[in-house]
This record gives sequence, C-alpha cells and structure tokens, in this order.
Amino acid sequence: MNRLKVLQAWLWCVSLWPCWLSHAVPLDCKDETGSLTQCTSISQEKLLDRVIQHAELIYRVSEESCTLFEDMFIPYPLHALRNQGGNLCHTKPFPIPGSKSEIQQISDKWLLHSVLMLVQSWMEPLIYLQTTLSRYDDAPDALLNKTKWVSDKLLSLEQGVLVLIRKMLDEGILTSSSIFEHTLTPYNEQSPEVLESILRDYNLLICFKKDAHKMETFLKLLKCRQSNKLSCLSY
Amino acid sequence: QYIVHSWFLSFSEVVLEPFQFSLPGSDPSRGPHFTGCRSREQETFRCWWSAGIFQNLTEPGALRVFYQTKNFLSEWQECPDYTRTVKNECYFNKTFTQIWTSYCIQLRSVRENITYDEACFTVENIVHPDPPIGLNWTLLNVSRSGLHFDVLVRWAPPPSADVQMGWMSLVYQVQYRVRNNSHWEMLDLESGTQQSIYGLHTDKEYEVRVRCKMSAFDNFGEFSDSIIVHVAQIPSKESTFPTTLVLIFGVIGVVILLVLLIFSQQQRLMVIFLPPIPAPKIKGIDPELLKNGKLDQLNSLLSSQDMYKPDFYHEDPWVEFIQLDLDDPAEKNESSDTQHLLGVSRSGSSHVLNFKSDDDSGRASCYDPEIPNPEDLASLLPGHSGRGDNHPLVSRSSSSIPDLGVQQTSEVEETPIQTQPAVPSWVNMDFYAQVSDFTPAGGVVLSPGQLNSCPEKKKEEENEKKIQFQLVSDGAYTSENTARQLSASVPPSPGPEQGYQTFPTQAVEGNLWNGEYLVSTSDSQTPYLLPEAPPAPILPPVSDYTVVQEVDAQHSLLLNPPSSQPAICPHSPNKHLPAMPTMPMGYLTPDLLGNLTP
Repeated sequence: MNRLKVLQAWLWCVSLWPCWLSHAVPLDCKDETGSLTQCTSISQEKLLDRVIQHAELIYRVSEESCTLFEDMFIPYPLHALRNQGGNLCHTKPFPIPGSKSEIQQISDKWLLHSVLMLVQSWMEPLIYLQTTLSRYDDAPDALLNKTKWVSDKLLSLEQGVLVLIRKMLDEGILTSSSIFEHTLTPYNEQSPEVLESILRDYNLLICFKKDAHKMETFLKLLKCRQSNKLSCLSY
Repeated sequence: QYIVHSWFLSFSEVVLEPFQFSLPGSDPSRGPHFTGCRSREQETFRCWWSAGIFQNLTEPGALRVFYQTKNFLSEWQECPDYTRTVKNECYFNKTFTQIWTSYCIQLRSVRENITYDEACFTVENIVHPDPPIGLNWTLLNVSRSGLHFDVLVRWAPPPSADVQMGWMSLVYQVQYRVRNNSHWEMLDLESGTQQSIYGLHTDKEYEVRVRCKMSAFDNFGEFSDSIIVHVAQIPSKESTFPTTLVLIFGVIGVVILLVLLIFSQQQRLMVIFLPPIPAPKIKGIDPELLKNGKLDQLNSLLSSQDMYKPDFYHEDPWVEFIQLDLDDPAEKNESSDTQHLLGVSRSGSSHVLNFKSDDDSGRASCYDPEIPNPEDLASLLPGHSGRGDNHPLVSRSSSSIPDLGVQQTSEVEETPIQTQPAVPSWVNMDFYAQVSDFTPAGGVVLSPGQLNSCPEKKKEEENEKKIQFQLVSDGAYTSENTARQLSASVPPSPGPEQGYQTFPTQAVEGNLWNGEYLVSTSDSQTPYLLPEAPPAPILPPVSDYTVVQEVDAQHSLLLNPPSSQPAICPHSPNKHLPAMPTMPMGYLTPDLLGNLTP
C-alpha cells in the first residue's frame, strides 16, 4: 500500500515536472518585438498596491457576477443561499485560518502563500465557468464578459503575487496550479438537469466571491504590516 | 450522480427554512426561532432568538443554541457565551468567529430534544458596520445671488471597524433632507470620509446623516446622528442684485429710445444741428416763385421791393451803363470802345447780337424784337451824360471817372455772341451786351438790362421801371443780386440784401452764370431768366461783373486793375481778371461791404 502511494506520488511529480519547469522560469518582460528585455523595476510598495488593486477589482466584479447570475437564474426563495457563503466550496490543500486573530498571527510568508494558493485554485474553475455559462440560452453578455475578465485578471494577479514572493521572501517558487486539478472533477460533470447545473454554477460563483474577499483582505493585511508593523500586529 | 444529489440536498435544506438575519424582531406566531445574527466588525457576532408562542420555554436554559462550522464538519457545539445582560442572545467572541466559514446554528430544546430552528451563514455576510462618527460640515461657498450654497461634510469611520489595517473596506452613504421633510436625498456611495453637497438653499435647515457598509456587500449599518446644516441668507446681496439689473435694463431701454428718436426725427434734427446755409434772399421774394413763376407775378413782386426803387440808383455816380445811341451815329464815332466793339461786330465777327423772340417760358428778353422805347434809348444818349455822375457813360468813364479803376471791358470782343445774320437796326448802337442765353438755334440772347441801358441808369431814368430780376441759378440756390455790381459808392445801407453782390467770374467760361444782375425791362413783360444750364460752351466767356478789388477813399469800388481799359459797364470778362481778387469770388458779403464803408 505504501509502495503504491509512494509510486503514485513519484509518478505524479515526474509527470508534473515539465509543468514545474514552465512555472519555474522567472518572470521576464517581453517587449513588442518579442525579445526578452530587462523589466523596468518598480518598488515593492508600489507592486503591493497594484496587487491589492487587482484583488479589489476581482472581488467587486465577482460580486457583480454573482448578482447578475442570481437575478437571471435563481428563483427568489433561493437567494438566501448567498448568505451561506457556499456550502460546498472546494477544499484547499492546507487550511487557511479564518479568524482575525489567527490571521494576525500568521507570518507574511504564509499570507502570501495563501493568496497564491487561492489564486491558483481558481484558475481552472473559472475557465469551466466560462464554458458552462456560455451554454445558457439567455445568459447576459455582461455576465460572460465579467467572467472572462476575472479569469484574465486572475492570471496577472498570480504573476504579481509571485513577484512579491520573490522580492519579499527572497525565494523562488516552484508552484503549479495543477495540484488542484483533482478537485475540479465535480465540476466537469454535466448535469442533465437544469436546476442542478444552475445551482452548481451559483454555488461556484458564491465560493469564488468569498475567496476573492479573502485574497483582498490578506493582501491588505500584508500592506498594513509593511507600512506599520506595530499597529497591525497588535491585539 | 451521488455528488450531484448531495448538492441538491444541501440546498433543499435552505429552501424549507428561509432565514432572515437582518431583523432582530420576533415573529410571535411561530414557535421558537432565531430572530437574527449580526456582526459589527467582522470579528465577533451575536445571534438572537425568540421563544415565540411557546411560553413555557421562555425561562433561561430551556432553549439552547448549538453551532457547527462547516469547515471540517465538526460536531455541534453549544453557544460559547450566553449574554447575561441581554435575553436570548448568543455571543461569539473573536476566538469563535471565523470569517469565510459557514456557520450553522440550531435552536434546540434540550429537554425535549427538539430542534426548532436552524440557520446557516458566513460571518462576512452578516456584517452591519457601526455608524460613522464625528460628522461635521464646513461651508464651501455661497452662490453670487446668495440663494445657494455648497457644503463639505466630513466624518470618521466607526472605531470598531478596523479600516486602517484593511480588515474591512467600508463605503459610506450620505443622506440629507430639508428639516421636517419626509423625503431623504441620497447621494452616491463614497469610499472616502468626506462628501460635498451642492445646491443647498440658504435660509433652509438641512439634516444630514451618514451610514456605511462593507464594500461589495449589501448590509448597511445604522445611521449616524443627524447634524443640522444652515446658512443664513445675506439680505444686502440679494437686494442689490435686482437693483443692478433694473439699472442696466433701464439704461439700455433709454438708449434704444434715443436711437429710435434720432432715427425717426432725423430730418428735423439735421435741420437743428446742421442748418442749411441760408441762401441769399430778397426779402419777400420766394426763390421758387422766381424760378417757376409767371412774369406778371415776378414783375409785381419785384416792383414791390424797396431796394429796387429807382431812388436807389440815384447815388450811383460811378455806374456805368451802356449808352445806346440809336440816332446819332456820330456819337458812336466819339465813343471809343463801343465803336470799336461795334465795328468789330460789324466786321462780321461773332459779336452780332441777336435777339431771340421770346417764346420760351420764363425767359426774359429785354431785347424785344421791336425797337426799344425811344424814350429809353434817348436816355442813353450821351447827351444825358451831362446829368452828371449819375450815369456816367462808359465812353466817358475814363475821363469823368478817372478814379474808377473799372476795368474797361472790351469784353465785347470776347462776348460769346454768335454771328447772326439778322441784325437789328440798333445794333450799331454803342452798347455792351451780355449774352445771357443761347437759343437752341444758336442765337444769342442778350440780357435786356445791358441792352437797354445799364440797369442802374435805367432805374434812374424811369422810376416806374420795373426791375426784373434775372436770376441765374446754379444748381444749389439762386443768388439774388440786389445790386449792382454797382459801384462801391453805393452805400451799403440800402436794403438789407444789398450785401450780396455777385460777381460771376470763372463761371463765365461757358459754364453757369453764377451771377445775377438786375435787369430792368422796359415794357417787356416777359421775365428774363437765365437758364440754369449754360449754353454751348463754345463761346468764350463773358463776365458780366467785375470783381471788386478794393475800395478807394471815395467809396469807389476798385474793380480790376486799372491797367485794363475803362469799363463801360462794370462788367468784365474773365480774361480781364488776371489776378485773383482777394475778395471772395462771386459774393460781396455784408461784412465785406461793411468794410467798404468808411
């Protein structure tokens, strides 16, 4: 049994090795001609501000998408589902602390890694969401546009977080979003029933909104720590 | 399929029991139930419940709250803290509060082991922030009219919300209304801590309040306390504003009226401000009448004029006039210039005078075809010259009046007289004639005054002679010549119109006759009026007048320089006016006449 597991893990690592490599290439800037040039550097503080702006925008757009979907497809009695924050959001590989006190206690490194993990965990589901929303007959264009926009922005957010990790933590990260592939299997199934698929998509949107809020809060906490360590770590 | 069903089931739970979190009020018709859960700062939260109609469960402890976090499907736990001060409240402190985690709470009666109510939520979805604090306002500006003003409203985020750390991102909403009004004006969400309100009315009291919520969430917190905004109206400003307007409009109106007035009364104003230069007038004579009237009327008019009384001419010793000598050809021989002139004329030059039979209306011709009155002619005889200075003859002018610098006119040679085959019998007379008009046939019309005599002499002779005015008008106005280029010895006193003496000069050159001269008609009743348009310009100019150069001690008018021949009549052609006189050409103005008098 153990051997099987070890073999599985090893095979898994080997199979994912090319992916790791692709993610291991440090970020370099490419100009219009396509040649790699030295990126113009910005300060860490500015980069963090931009990352926070990204996260804020993503969160706001996710909330708008949720509202659009809800107005269009969800019958009114089920609107209360929203408050539940998504019962069955996909689980993360490692737990993320939820209370403020706990969050205050975790280190910067953990904060950044948590954000990165969150971002990476949502890349695939958003792509799936785009395809499934396009299958609805009367999905509003605004909803489709927003979903597409969010998945694009998520990519750039990931890049920003990676750079931050490199700068702030001085470590190169070999990460891969493929770790989360197995969690997506429930989404890949297509339910014949309309209500179920609608509810599933709705739940997906709710979960994404929650995680976007999480990302934004973490990043803001990080910013507070960068600027004024004392007041942020207190109580 | 299994997974799909589990999805559906989990949702169906909620369908059966909708849960409202925002209303802490209770519904007495139901059994025990949760009335609401709220978090103020996303760090703690509270839940309330009500026993409902089941009164036997109101005692504390009968109903208990159990919660479960859905993170790892932990077991049900009881409420960590039942608030002592508040009834039916369960308080979750920081330790037990997890954000982004689903909570499910249950209301159970432990004794009966019945679950009366259940609800699930996540903490961030039940956050109702506290109201902002420190609301105040400052005046931005007041409008020019003093009727409106703008304010800037400021506040601070609630102290419980940790905005500084970024734990909560708040957006605010400002509302205002006129005091005691029922309708609140709502402004857009503001992420900062200040907001401008524009367009408020002075003299009205406004209530302003603010509330906040988490950005991208729906739950607003409570409103802050209202503040009163009031700006008193400044009366002086408002009162001056309409006054200024009234003034401006009044001025504009007056200006418009003035312009209209000017335009409507243009003619009259022109007369007032730019009076036309009065034309020389003879008192009592209408220029129009002279132009267009009948001969009879003119005759009556002219005879009524004082200045044309024959007396006037009595004191004209220097007046020279043409002396007609019809009966005495010998006389002619004695005469100097006239003879010459006539000789010249006899030679067939163009000096033959012709008289046109006067058919034209208004054309006065003293030169009637018939022989003039012998009596008149006789008066012209040199024999009469013995009368003295009254009418010195031209022929004697040089001798009797030596001081006269009257230029002798040999203008007959230059007179534009056409040769005419029909020469009256008296053409041999010694006289000067001024051509005043030309007939269409080419004949020359002489002014009658000259032919008969010098007008002055005639006047002397016959008081009853009517003086006729021969008017020459040149387009602008007719100038009436009251006198005579008559002598300077004429005292300027007679007649008010004596001031004007016209001395046509250059105008003679085939152009208009600018001058007028007195014409005395004997019997001819036809007024002789010079045409306005000049005759054919081919004729050499003839000047009927001499320009007075100066006045000598004897009150004689010195006409042209004495170098020229003695003038028969004080008419001299332009050619004999070599030097430009210092006097104004054509007119002897009253003031100039005044200079002449001693």
